Amino acid sequence: MLVPQTWNPALRTLGALPLALLVACSGGGAAKDGGASGAKWETRDTLVIATPSDIGSLIPVKPRTASDQFIISELTVPTIDSDFDCSLKKKPALAKSYEWSDDGKVVKLELDDRYTWEDGKPVTADDIAFAYELAGDKKVASPRFGYLEFMTEDARPKVIDDTHVEFHFTRAYDRDTQAAHVDLTAMPRHILGDADRATLEGHEFATKPTFYGPFRLAKHTPNQSVILEPNWNFTGPEERRPRLSRVMFKVIPEYSARLIALEKGDVDFMESLQIADVDRLRKEHAEDLRIVLRGYRAMDYVGWNGSKYEPFNDLKVRQALAHGVDQQRIIGKILTGEDGTVYARPAIGTITPELCGVHNDDVKPLAYDPEKAKALLAEAGWTDSDGDGWVDKGGQKMSFTMVTNQGNKRRADAAVEIQADMKKIGVDMQIDFKEANTFFDKVEAREYEAFLAGWSAGLFVDPSSIWQSETPDRPQPFNHTLYSNAEVDQLIDRGLATPDPREAAPIWKEMQQKIYEDQPYMFLWWINIPVAVSSRFENTTIDVLSPHRNLYQWEVPADKVKYKR
Amino acid sequence: MQLLKGIPWKYAGRKLLLAIPLVLGVVTLIFVLLELAPGDASTKFLNPDFPPEVKQMVIEKYGLDRPAWYRYFLMMKNLAVLDFGRSITAERPVWDLVADALPNTVILSFVTLIVSYPLGILLGTWQAIRQNKPDDTAISVGSLLFYSMPSFWFAMMLQLFISYYLSNWVSGQIEAGTLPGFMNVFDFDVSGMYSNDLLIAMSMDDPWTWGQILSDPLGAWNERFPWWLERNLSMLHHLILPGIAMGIASSAGAARYMRSSLLEVIRQDYIRTARAKGLPERVVILKHAMRNALLPIITLFGLSIPYLFSGSVLVEVVFAWPGMGRLIIDSIFAQDTPTIVACFFVSTLLVVTGNLISDISYAVVDPRIRYD
Repeated sequence: MLVPQTWNPALRTLGALPLALLVACSGGGAAKDGGASGAKWETRDTLVIATPSDIGSLIPVKPRTASDQFIISELTVPTIDSDFDCSLKKKPALAKSYEWSDDGKVVKLELDDRYTWEDGKPVTADDIAFAYELAGDKKVASPRFGYLEFMTEDARPKVIDDTHVEFHFTRAYDRDTQAAHVDLTAMPRHILGDADRATLEGHEFATKPTFYGPFRLAKHTPNQSVILEPNWNFTGPEERRPRLSRVMFKVIPEYSARLIALEKGDVDFMESLQIADVDRLRKEHAEDLRIVLRGYRAMDYVGWNGSKYEPFNDLKVRQALAHGVDQQRIIGKILTGEDGTVYARPAIGTITPELCGVHNDDVKPLAYDPEKAKALLAEAGWTDSDGDGWVDKGGQKMSFTMVTNQGNKRRADAAVEIQADMKKIGVDMQIDFKEANTFFDKVEAREYEAFLAGWSAGLFVDPSSIWQSETPDRPQPFNHTLYSNAEVDQLIDRGLATPDPREAAPIWKEMQQKIYEDQPYMFLWWINIPVAVSSRFENTTIDVLSPHRNLYQWEVPADKVKYKR
Repeated sequence: MQLLKGIPWKYAGRKLLLAIPLVLGVVTLIFVLLELAPGDASTKFLNPDFPPEVKQMVIEKYGLDRPAWYRYFLMMKNLAVLDFGRSITAERPVWDLVADALPNTVILSFVTLIVSYPLGILLGTWQAIRQNKPDDTAISVGSLLFYSMPSFWFAMMLQLFISYYLSNWVSGQIEAGTLPGFMNVFDFDVSGMYSNDLLIAMSMDDPWTWGQILSDPLGAWNERFPWWLERNLSMLHHLILPGIAMGIASSAGAARYMRSSLLEVIRQDYIRTARAKGLPERVVILKHAMRNALLPIITLFGLSIPYLFSGSVLVEVVFAWPGMGRLIIDSIFAQDTPTIVACFFVSTLLVVTGNLISDISYAVVDPRIRYD
């Protein structure tokens, strides 16, 4: 390191320089008490997390980036916390108890009165109501607006007293989804009550927030770093007290720079690693880094647009194309490590296999069978009549363009492999890489023949936005393939209206089977996301819920501490 | 005073007036291009996690549903009073964003320019004096190589070979006791403006506060100066690699221009006369030849001044340097029109100013040039 960790006495001798120069060059800013000086319990070391983007807004009803979400979750305590084991397992947090009414239309919460904001004011039911007030205000344009969709207008929520609050719904629905909808982070009315809601993201709170969680924001240096330190005024349960002295989110936009920083030890944690890099990290950094697989949260698929390329309206053609692409070979080539670790599994739908009670394991992916693919194409009238190697019908060869977004190496590799397999069954597929904004604009406007894209899966089931039929009064902007099946519509409505997840599971399984039979997508694979973490950290929770969950539990043994400050 | 007399004030005034339609033209062009591009700032709100109403709320909130001509005239009206409005993505005044980013880019670009140009001039002069000697050939080949190398690729190579391999080797040797501790100056961080240690220290305490300076200047001086120095030394250290990545092409370009320009000048009669008078070669080159040979370099330097503010976008991204380049690229991806327009407004203004400074510098350096 260039810079010594304690003030160098020799530097003091340079005090002869003009004071005016110093004043002119001073960085300014507000002084505050050193974190360590206010320590009330023992903490050690700093965790440095590489992040591609800076925080945008730390206002829970208005997060802008994934980093915002992660940081907010460390600065707060969820109203209802969750573990994950095949499904979300709810547990008390800010709400020390929660209960549903018998008809499933009312959720009652009792808040733990120990929690206070950093300034010492108690976190009350009114602060929760304020969060919903902001989310429902059109001037705020909150992404959480949908949480209020099924709440009655007089109870969004209803504040009973400082520690009791009720959410009244117009109808009962899936409890995991309902629990997510009552989990909006409380907002301090005493700080933001008078703020201009139209410019809420520009409020000082967005980058210098005050919360009630185990960590507090120590310093945000725009586009460089966000540093969290223990909230020494934390009044929640002792087991939530952080054991790390600091968590630094270091902004490094470029993937290769993040990777070099990880290998050099400048950062301790990095997610979304490429498979080739994981292989090297396993070999060259076996002692100082651990590779952890988070689970299946992201999937890739090819969407077919029958309104733009008529042959895709034929089920036999879609089935033929699925039989014609060797997914296992492609997984083996681009999603398997040199040591044989497989980082993907074939997909049969948009419900993650992590939801093991809901995912339909009985649906088997269509097997790679080029001969069957050719036979199905022939049944649909597509044969190589002129012997040029391409199937044709009515004098037109089967030829279409698949668009995908630039900058995603996995999809670029997959597109080339799919193109090669298509050629083997006589289908001419061109690839068009588009800039991300242009690509999403095309997909939204359904101006494509086929597209290669992906979904990031939620951990509760709500497939309506992707699979329910579009009608004039119910636009479905994410039903990109204009999929429509009345039976599936009914199953989705029934599933969403079934509060008990165990009762809903067979409905969701049937829905997955029907959608897979229709092949609106060529479902490709679920990816088991690899992350790397420095070996000096113990008691880490890296799972499908979050790449770095429960940071307050992470710790470093005394003999492995790297950052002494 | 002698220098001020040489400045063509009328010409400068005329050029500045002409800059107004130019800046307006560029802003209009940028606006049209952004309108033609697919999507808008509300596109990122089209996500299955958000209800479709949210996108519509964003559209209404920022008037994205108003006709383009209306938004254009509104923008121009605000520009007339230098009001760029609020960033759509950050919901902060655009000037605040520019104020955060601009100083960082100025530091990086200024240090790069003041090091790279003298270096280029020095190398070019050396080459001209040593024309066709092996060292001239070697510098020519080297400068051509660096001039044609993409700066972002060179930046990545610097990270790999200097920040990773060299730094690891140096820290290993220091640990083993085979290198003295001060050699850690060759241990470079991969990216950013400060070391992790310093970022942590900065989170605990700021080096200077106005309150402290005003209430107890001496105490602030004694307590804070080492801290301030440590911070700035760390920043200078972190400037080295992005500075090399950004400046090497400028150095190489300046060297090539300087070589050819000086070779042309030293064949002139007045140089022969100077030599015939018996002036030492050092005086002939430095005093008589270089002044005239510097004219094309001044043009180059003038054209480089906009870099002071727009920065080298890719180098800033690779080295995670939080400057204007990052702001421009982030706002383009987010289709944040007010921020993009502000960035290009500042950039255009500086191209004009840069050209003006180089024009004026001609007159100052070469008394034969007159604009009036």
